[in-house]
Amino acid sequence: MTALVTLERASFSYPGAARPALAEVSLELAPGEVVVVTGPAGAGTSTLLLVASGFAPRVVGGTLTGTRRIAARRCGLVFARPWTQLTGLCSTVRDEVAFGPASLGLPREAVLAAAARALDLLHVGQLADREPTELSGGELQRVVVAAALALAPEVLALDDPAAELDPEAADALYAALPPLAASGTAVLLATPDLQRAARVATRAVEMADGRVVASGAPAEVLSGTEVARLARAAGCPPPYPIDAAALVRRVAP
Amino acid sequence: MIGFVLGRSPLHRAHPYTTLATAAALLLGAFALTRPLEVWLLVAAAVAYAAVGGVLRASARTALLLSLPIWVLLFVLHGLLGAEPRVVLGPVALSAPGLARALVLGGRVTAIVLGFLTALAATSPHRLVEAMTADGAPFGRAFLLASTLTVLPRMRERAAQILEAQQCRGLRLGGSPFARLRALGPLALPLVLGALAEVDEQVLALDARGAGGAARRTALDPPRDSAAQRAWRWALLLLVAAAYAWKFWRLGA
Repeated sequence: MTALVTLERASFSYPGAARPALAEVSLELAPGEVVVVTGPAGAGTSTLLLVASGFAPRVVGGTLTGTRRIAARRCGLVFARPWTQLTGLCSTVRDEVAFGPASLGLPREAVLAAAARALDLLHVGQLADREPTELSGGELQRVVVAAALALAPEVLALDDPAAELDPEAADALYAALPPLAASGTAVLLATPDLQRAARVATRAVEMADGRVVASGAPAEVLSGTEVARLARAAGCPPPYPIDAAALVRRVAP
Repeated sequence: MIGFVLGRSPLHRAHPYTTLATAAALLLGAFALTRPLEVWLLVAAAVAYAAVGGVLRASARTALLLSLPIWVLLFVLHGLLGAEPRVVLGPVALSAPGLARALVLGGRVTAIVLGFLTALAATSPHRLVEAMTADGAPFGRAFLLASTLTVLPRMRERAAQILEAQQCRGLRLGGSPFARLRALGPLALPLVLGALAEVDEQVLALDARGAGGAARRTALDPPRDSAAQRAWRWALLLLVAAAYAWKFWRLGA
């Protein structure tokens, strides 16, 4: 399958930074994948998302070396804080979600249809006529993801999208990712929430100091989940089960 | 009250260009008129403008709060230190031409502030962007103008949150003027730094949603304009031009 994004020994430095935020990273992203990127603060996970989705250095400035090929026609980007991603110019959720397609200059009907589809995908269609500023953080973040999806991106980069959400809203957001990937979108998800990430990841990448230190199947890379730690402590041989479902399968196959 | 207020007044329903053109005419007229009576007729027009917008009470209160220190300064400066002849008002003898000058300058400030606050309260940023989009204006220009209308309420909201947070951490706001001045640091710094960080994210979010693209945006719900409103805007332009012509003719004479 043709990769939507390819990075080969890519390094990136922010303007004025003494050391690179990303150092010789190689990564391929194919349609239908949910790649979870994890690592401690300052590991470069957010920067990897910006570089892989084409926003760095184009928007944020800085220097990129190595090879980057982006075959995706369009990339979406979502951050942790939903309120900074609102346009601040739309009086309804529908308008907010329709903002992207409207920016492409699509006909009005196509714009509204794209917005309605994206709202339905995230199960927030009932919020369409509400004011964005009246929504809870969880509702708003799903609206923001819907706004990104309204542009039908082939790559969706999510930077800790559930950081500000309560557990239920976070579950709902993560639950929307596998169907999205099944429709052909490649999802690149940076998160410290390994429990939820383990449920949706098809591949995992661990980073430290701007470098990829491990990459492969989630069961091999995401060994820091509570379940994996418990399994390790209980003397379970590797690869450790990373979530409750995997543990149950291991214990009672 | 500073910022857009939802409403159904004629000013809210008017085309945003009409609302803004009226405020602009008040601003330009204030500098064209030079006699106390003329300026105070302009203040009356600003009051009528706020009343039509249904925001008279709130706008007038804020306008008075903002212009009161300027009034005091003007009366001290021109009334006490102005030229002869003097009029006796109670225990003090004030300069008659100085008083007239203070009335003109104070009236100008009041009319401008009241007009500006009313325009802010009655112009929906969303409708303004839609109107400009329908006219084919580049998104950057529309965003810049609409952001100007939303920046004050957003900063005020953020300042209130920071104030609360800092008070929880022991910041005291009362005391001597020096102590109050010292308390500004913990408020201003996070306000400015937070705003800058948010701007970074918002630029990325807008770019990700196609705001910087070359395509002409689709206006989803452009506000309706009418012949009467266009005529009103032309009439305002002619009135302002006439006021300046009269001012320069009098200066020449």
